Amino acid sequence: MEPVIQINNICKTFKVLNRKTGIKGAVQNLFSRDYKEIKAVDDISLTINEGEMVGYLGPNGAGKSTTIKVMTGILEPTSGNILVNGRVPYKNRSVNAQDIGVVFGQRSQLWWALPVIESFRILKEVYAIPDDVYKKNMQMFSDLVNVENLYNKPVREMSLGQRTLCDILSSFLHNPGIVFLDEPTIGLDVSMKSKIRYLISELNKEKGTTIILTTHDMGDVDALAKRIIIIDQGKMIYDDNIAHLKTFFGAYRTIKITLPNEQFDGADEEKKAKFIADITSQIIAKNEKARNIHVSLDESELSILVPEAEVPLIEVLSTSQEILPVKDVQIAEISTESIIRKIYEGNESKSKLLSSEVKEKAE
Amino acid sequence: MENTRIRPIRGFLFYFKIYWMIALQDIKSKMSYRSDFLISTIGMIAVNVSGFLGFWLVFQTFHEINGWKFNEILFLYACLLLTMTPNQIFFDNNWSLRYYVYSGDFVKYCFRPINLFFYFISEVIDVKGFGQFFFGLFLLIYSWIQLQIPVTVGNVVTLLVGLLSGSLVVIALMVAASATCFWLMNSGFIMVYIFKFTDYAKYPLSIFNKFFQVLFTVLIPIGFIAYYPSLYFLRPNDFEWLTLLCPVVGAIMVLIAYKIWMYGASKYSGTGS
Repeated sequence: MEPVIQINNICKTFKVLNRKTGIKGAVQNLFSRDYKEIKAVDDISLTINEGEMVGYLGPNGAGKSTTIKVMTGILEPTSGNILVNGRVPYKNRSVNAQDIGVVFGQRSQLWWALPVIESFRILKEVYAIPDDVYKKNMQMFSDLVNVENLYNKPVREMSLGQRTLCDILSSFLHNPGIVFLDEPTIGLDVSMKSKIRYLISELNKEKGTTIILTTHDMGDVDALAKRIIIIDQGKMIYDDNIAHLKTFFGAYRTIKITLPNEQFDGADEEKKAKFIADITSQIIAKNEKARNIHVSLDESELSILVPEAEVPLIEVLSTSQEILPVKDVQIAEISTESIIRKIYEGNESKSKLLSSEVKEKAE
Repeated sequence: MENTRIRPIRGFLFYFKIYWMIALQDIKSKMSYRSDFLISTIGMIAVNVSGFLGFWLVFQTFHEINGWKFNEILFLYACLLLTMTPNQIFFDNNWSLRYYVYSGDFVKYCFRPINLFFYFISEVIDVKGFGQFFFGLFLLIYSWIQLQIPVTVGNVVTLLVGLLSGSLVVIALMVAASATCFWLMNSGFIMVYIFKFTDYAKYPLSIFNKFFQVLFTVLIPIGFIAYYPSLYFLRPNDFEWLTLLCPVVGAIMVLIAYKIWMYGASKYSGTGS
């Protein structure tokens, strides 16, 4: 397999004015040349091969969009090398655009007032798509999803889901080597989500298109991505397949305990939080090793995340049975969602720790 | 990976064909909202008629302003309406640019393998501008006849060149004004101000004092929208040398405005999503 995207030590820094507050500060801001540099992307290297489907994850403000903008040629990196389809994207924005497709979950790139089919015809001209390729793709689209009935509807009259569907199809129309999907399922209902996931996975399979998927929806990741890349605060913190992710923090499993229904009827958040804290401290009091468990409450279901390397699951289970009115018990593997959350939170607390140390030293 | 696809030549015909496809569909879809189309066209004509009534009333009292007669000012006004029309019809998306830029939506225009400015501007065609065009044309023909300007091929061609130059000046001013949003947060008022200044173009520059004459020739060159081109017909024996420069001024201004716009767009990096 050949690499279609090759990134070596990319950095992107933005200059941001050091803003001062207050009226005096506002006047000073007008003349201030006091800039600080913000590293949006900090030394990222990665290689993506032809036909791969990669989940690109990270909390808000992690630098995902910036990396995508560098890959699509809108932004020039501050340092480092990048090759997309064998070209430097920011030097050949327009040429590079011929070989990529881009979809934003909530920003349609189709002509707002025109029926979708007219948008497709215009795109055929814009990308100089040969007749046979166009026909073949249109045929494939209608085989995959039932969309012909949408073709004569203007985009502005469509639902978000229909629009996203058409946007995704249009991004594959010119047989691009790489398609970037930025939160394609954002704001969609469950059935539309699964329809879109099916479409993306089929297009990837049938056309062998490389797909870079950014999302906050772990359902997308579970359904689509075999490999995931996680970045946070501009740095890459994970790049491997999704199966490996589950062992990233050692073994974790969740005990799900169903409590009697009436237990939390009409209880407010404060009371629930107090209950969680109470239960946690009770379990830890009985079993010293269980100090790193994580308890959460959803309706009348209590979840206890157990780090099995530290404490056997069965011990936590028996302790909780002693102190809780248990109606039913389930044991679940850790979900992708909670792993990712742990990664984000872990990284955040690490950096908080660092910054507080720095502060202490400064004082 | 080697790129095997041969890039097609992106010449004038390529862009014309795409523009035609978009325009045809856009007009078709706007016509389908019939009442919307009718009301906005009537509204546009009403705005222009009331503007016209304004100085018709003035001329009921004063029969001339600084040596300019009613029909001459009418000719100037007709030229202004016509030179404003291409900007109105084809460059209306200028007014939306700042919303796209501030919301970060502008990024969606950056991924097509065609000229960015063309792609953005071609998106919207404002059909109600045609109402202004026909009203302007009517006034021009009326004043042309009243002024007894001879109908010769030379005159018609000169008029067309003059109107085209004026249109280019309007387009350049508005494109440059809208492009300020790539740098400024409150660029809306710049567009509104520049647009309001074009209103002064319906008066002969010579009735202003020296300061405004220089201002409207050099700094905000609205004199080139209607006044300098129409001098050729209104003062055929002593028009200013600037009249001959009109096409050059128009072309240079459009080029500069386009460069500013493209430079701003290339600086643009979008907001995070």
